[in-house]
Amino acid sequence: MKHQERSQDEFVAARRAEWDELDGLVGTGEALHLKDGPSISRVAALYRSLCTDLMRSRAARYTPDLGGYLDALAGRTHATLYGAQPFHMPSLVALFTRDFPRALRANWRLFAVACALFLVPFAIGLLGALASDQLAMKVLPASMLEEMASAYSRGFASGRDPGTNTGMAGFYVYNNVGIAFRCFATGILFGVGSLFFLIYNGLYTGVVAGYVMSAGHGGNIWTFMCGHAPFELTAIVIAGGAGLQMGYSLVSTGGLTRTGSLRKAAPEITRQILGAGMMLLIAALIEGFWSPSSAPAPVKWAVSFVFTVLVTLYLALAGRGPDRRREVSSP
Amino acid sequence: MKQRDAAREPVDTTTEIETPEHVRFRHHVAGPANRALAYLVDLAARGLFLAVFVFLAALGGLSVGESAKQASNGVLLLAFFLVEWGYYVLFETISSGRTPGKRVFGLRVVTEGGHPLRFGDSLLRNLLRAADFLPGAYAIGLLVMGRDPRFRRLGDLAAGTIVITEARHLVTGKLRLDPPPTAAELRGLPQRLPLSGEELDAVDLFLRRVGRLAPAREEELAEMVAPLFARRMGARYRSATRFLGLLHYRARESHEKKSG
Repeated sequence: MKHQERSQDEFVAARRAEWDELDGLVGTGEALHLKDGPSISRVAALYRSLCTDLMRSRAARYTPDLGGYLDALAGRTHATLYGAQPFHMPSLVALFTRDFPRALRANWRLFAVACALFLVPFAIGLLGALASDQLAMKVLPASMLEEMASAYSRGFASGRDPGTNTGMAGFYVYNNVGIAFRCFATGILFGVGSLFFLIYNGLYTGVVAGYVMSAGHGGNIWTFMCGHAPFELTAIVIAGGAGLQMGYSLVSTGGLTRTGSLRKAAPEITRQILGAGMMLLIAALIEGFWSPSSAPAPVKWAVSFVFTVLVTLYLALAGRGPDRRREVSSP
Repeated sequence: MKQRDAAREPVDTTTEIETPEHVRFRHHVAGPANRALAYLVDLAARGLFLAVFVFLAALGGLSVGESAKQASNGVLLLAFFLVEWGYYVLFETISSGRTPGKRVFGLRVVTEGGHPLRFGDSLLRNLLRAADFLPGAYAIGLLVMGRDPRFRRLGDLAAGTIVITEARHLVTGKLRLDPPPTAAELRGLPQRLPLSGEELDAVDLFLRRVGRLAPAREEELAEMVAPLFARRMGARYRSATRFLGLLHYRARESHEKKSG
């Protein structure tokens, strides 16, 4: 095959024009679909011949800097040609109607653990704050608790003006979804972060509720919370459970490497956190507009009951039954 | 020679990708410094966006009056939320792994297989910023990156992504020996050098760094291999760097003669 071998300079001289052309076409980093038809075909053709050049330059042992140049050009062209898959709507619908509840049910053990990690401190905080104000003030600053108590002393007779509602809804999105995301993300530290945030949020909620109750406004705070709690508290626990799953996959690897085990669990984890995010957005709307409204308490409790049943049915039943188009590759 | 490639990846900041065309090429993995700079640009971009947004909201509030104050606060917080958690996911998804900051520094997020990022990957790697950031200023993320051969932070490990640089390489000109080799110097070298392709590659990589190293260090590095090569071909030399330069010259000369 000696006769095919060319010196590096000849090789570069012969091929340079095409490389420069390709460099010009992909160099701007412009998305491929913004280019016209002929240049898309041209990029593809040039890329194929570049791949050949790359292999030839390695076989002929041309200098490393030429290899580096061709590697980089091939890398950029590859990234341009195989652009990200478009985000499409049906997969989002399938996520919420099927994949999210399924992923949650598959992770039911850690979800149950997360529930316990939230509810037990919640009960402790609630009973402790009911028993003594001193105890409550050991957990949360007194000024904050008093502010809470006075905020719930007013009742909902007059409702709230729509501007404030919108303002608070924005706050709930920023604050609550942020809390849930942090509760989830810190689970990668072998579950420790999720553990902490679940206990902390449980204790916090319990102490606030207990303190407000002992101040004599128990009816107000429960009536306020009952509307959005089915979505909000469930979603925070789901996020915590997903975080625990992340940590658990690092500990119980099932024979894989830690990273491999984490990667294997990643799709289910992503589905759960997306589902929790959606539930928190719903919760923020309810908390902003419905919970502070002037609707009478019995109506709010009835609505809360309906929400609880709906959330339970959704998480327990959605996505059950045979799959019509199950992907072959998924295990 | 091929076996070495198959046995293990070189300990370099590169990662090998096999494409659907069954071509393997190497990506250069981006290091913490580049990524930190890109992060700062993104931080500035987010700040700028929010500043403009706050300014517009304030203008709107002034024209409408007190009644819109609370509502515009809510919209602002919503914008803060979207910018804090959604900025990276949005740009990495629509721009195939490149946020504006990464674009400035020629970085791109790809999956470990070198394929483009999907929405779920991007979401996971960016949600985990909350963990990488702890206890402040991405301390855990930097620690994890420092221990990983491909500089992956926790988010990258979970989502199976790497950040690569797409810096353009330029083919530098032919290496020139300065001053040009004399006939006397070349006479001492065999026509066919008993050097493998890899050894010549190493010599080539070394010679391209000559001039950027301190002369004493150049000589020190060259002295590591020059005696071995000299013994193999029964040659003598005075300066090791010069000797390697001559070897390189002879190798290219014979390469060109053979194929030219």
